Amino acid sequence: MGIKIVPRYGQTLKEKLYLPAIVGGMKVTFSHFFENLKDTSKIETLCYPEQLPKDITPRYRGVHRLTKREDDTVKCVACFMCATACPAECIFIEAIEREDGVDEKMPKKFSIDLLECVFCGACVEACPCDAIRMDTGIFSFVKKKREDFVVNIDTLLSHKPMKGSN
Amino acid sequence: MSGVLISVVVFNIVMALVVSLVFVPVLVWMERRVAGFIQDRLGPNRCHIGGVRLGGLVQSFADMLKLVFKEDFRPGAVKEKMIFTLSPVIVFVTAYLSFMVIPFADDLRIDGKTYMMQALPIDFGLLWILAFAGLGVYGLMLGGWASNNKYSLLGGIRAAAQVISYEAVMGLSLISMLIVYGSIHLGDMVRFQGQLIWGFIPAWGIIIQPVAGILFIITAFAETNRAPFDIAEGESEIVGGFHTEYSAMRFGLFFVGEYIAMGAASALIVTLFFGGYQIPWLNTTVLKDHIEMIFIAIIIILPITSYIFARWIKKNNVWLEEGDVRNKETRWLIIGLIGINVLVVLPLVVFLLFGIGENGTNISVVLLQVMTFIIKLLMMNFFFIWVRWTLVRFRYDQLQNLAWKVLLPIAIINVFLTGIFVVVLGV
Repeated sequence: MGIKIVPRYGQTLKEKLYLPAIVGGMKVTFSHFFENLKDTSKIETLCYPEQLPKDITPRYRGVHRLTKREDDTVKCVACFMCATACPAECIFIEAIEREDGVDEKMPKKFSIDLLECVFCGACVEACPCDAIRMDTGIFSFVKKKREDFVVNIDTLLSHKPMKGSN
Repeated sequence: MSGVLISVVVFNIVMALVVSLVFVPVLVWMERRVAGFIQDRLGPNRCHIGGVRLGGLVQSFADMLKLVFKEDFRPGAVKEKMIFTLSPVIVFVTAYLSFMVIPFADDLRIDGKTYMMQALPIDFGLLWILAFAGLGVYGLMLGGWASNNKYSLLGGIRAAAQVISYEAVMGLSLISMLIVYGSIHLGDMVRFQGQLIWGFIPAWGIIIQPVAGILFIITAFAETNRAPFDIAEGESEIVGGFHTEYSAMRFGLFFVGEYIAMGAASALIVTLFFGGYQIPWLNTTVLKDHIEMIFIAIIIILPITSYIFARWIKKNNVWLEEGDVRNKETRWLIIGLIGINVLVVLPLVVFLLFGIGENGTNISVVLLQVMTFIIKLLMMNFFFIWVRWTLVRFRYDQLQNLAWKVLLPIAIINVFLTGIFVVVLGV
């Protein structure tokens, strides 16, 4: 193994003067400034509320949704697997007996506290019948009261999967 | 006290107010938008009053409004309440007073009487500016000390040490300029810069004395605590530096004072090294002799530049949503531009047709020079902002090394060389 000699920079007069380097840096910043001033449409800033981000993939874990069967009833069988798996303990389920004979149980209440939720996806992993998913792509939920963040079963059922997810 | 004297004095004081206080929102706006463009962002552009955004300028007013209406809070740990309150005032007042001796135009002659075109008609302007430049740091020091906070104290100490080191270099670089100009009256200095070297190079300070010019610009950056010398508020090390404990309008005064100081430093640099109000190759006598030609040039150039500017506005001043109120602004701006053109061109045509006499010529020359000065001032301010968003902050020891080991010897050598040159050549 030979010894590697690292060249020392900054010893020439030009480098010691600093001013040429400063002028070089200023040229770079000015070219950016001038290009952007000429045509602001080239800037890639997203004007957020008007322009929404386009790079949210189907894998993105957004706000949850409850899936439905073919006959448009809730798929969930109120087995409490998701609530048990939840590390933030933000899923609250009340089960009732299912009367229409499709299954034995169904949730009467199924609410998720979005302020508690850590969006880990453990509930989706835990669900034995694919009843809860996080493929809505909803990343922004703004409410006025703390209580409003506890979303109930109707809201969760009404969420649609985002385009591009299966 | 004649009416003319009063109106000249009022004009000068209003000018000093405009280039200091009224420019602050403009400078804040410039800082943000230039920073945005340099970093390939947009910068503030949403804030609007009835759809008028002025390219984001309204944001500065919104911010000032917010600072004014916030709670005027003082921490309980502050013992020296008086000094705590006084220090932002010192920063603000000293920065503001520096503007008082900047000549906005050449001396105005009306009916045989001469009026000095600066807010304070004194002829020792440079001493005044040096005095207040040194005084301004007292605000930072006292504020840092009175906050009763270690970070603030560190910030204040840093500011003091920095200003002391750079004041020396600044004074020395000014001495070489004094040798060249032979006067401490800023008006005389600018008149000197109206000459031409060998008949074709404007005798600006930066051309006669490039070394002193560069030294002075560097020290002016340090004096105004702007990047790359803003270690007094080095956020990464000492939180907010001297203004950690300040909030609301107390902080607002520091903030405004910093921008006024930047404006004052730019004005001084322009006055000393970039010809002040002088238009290159057109000094006051040339302007007075050829005022008709100048009018014709303005009548031709102004509509062309306005047309280019209007096209730029049409292209870039677009809001995303179709029906938004902000989209109506472009029309108003273009109407405003046409209005300005009409307001400027029509009187000039009338003057060309009927002549404006001796006093009229003098006044229009003064107005031209004021406009030139403002344009130069804005360009220098842009330079300050440009440097801030290009260079990184110095480390404290690097800063002191630069001042004492590099700049000071250069400044002293420069003074000697200038002296020898002047004595030998007998200029």
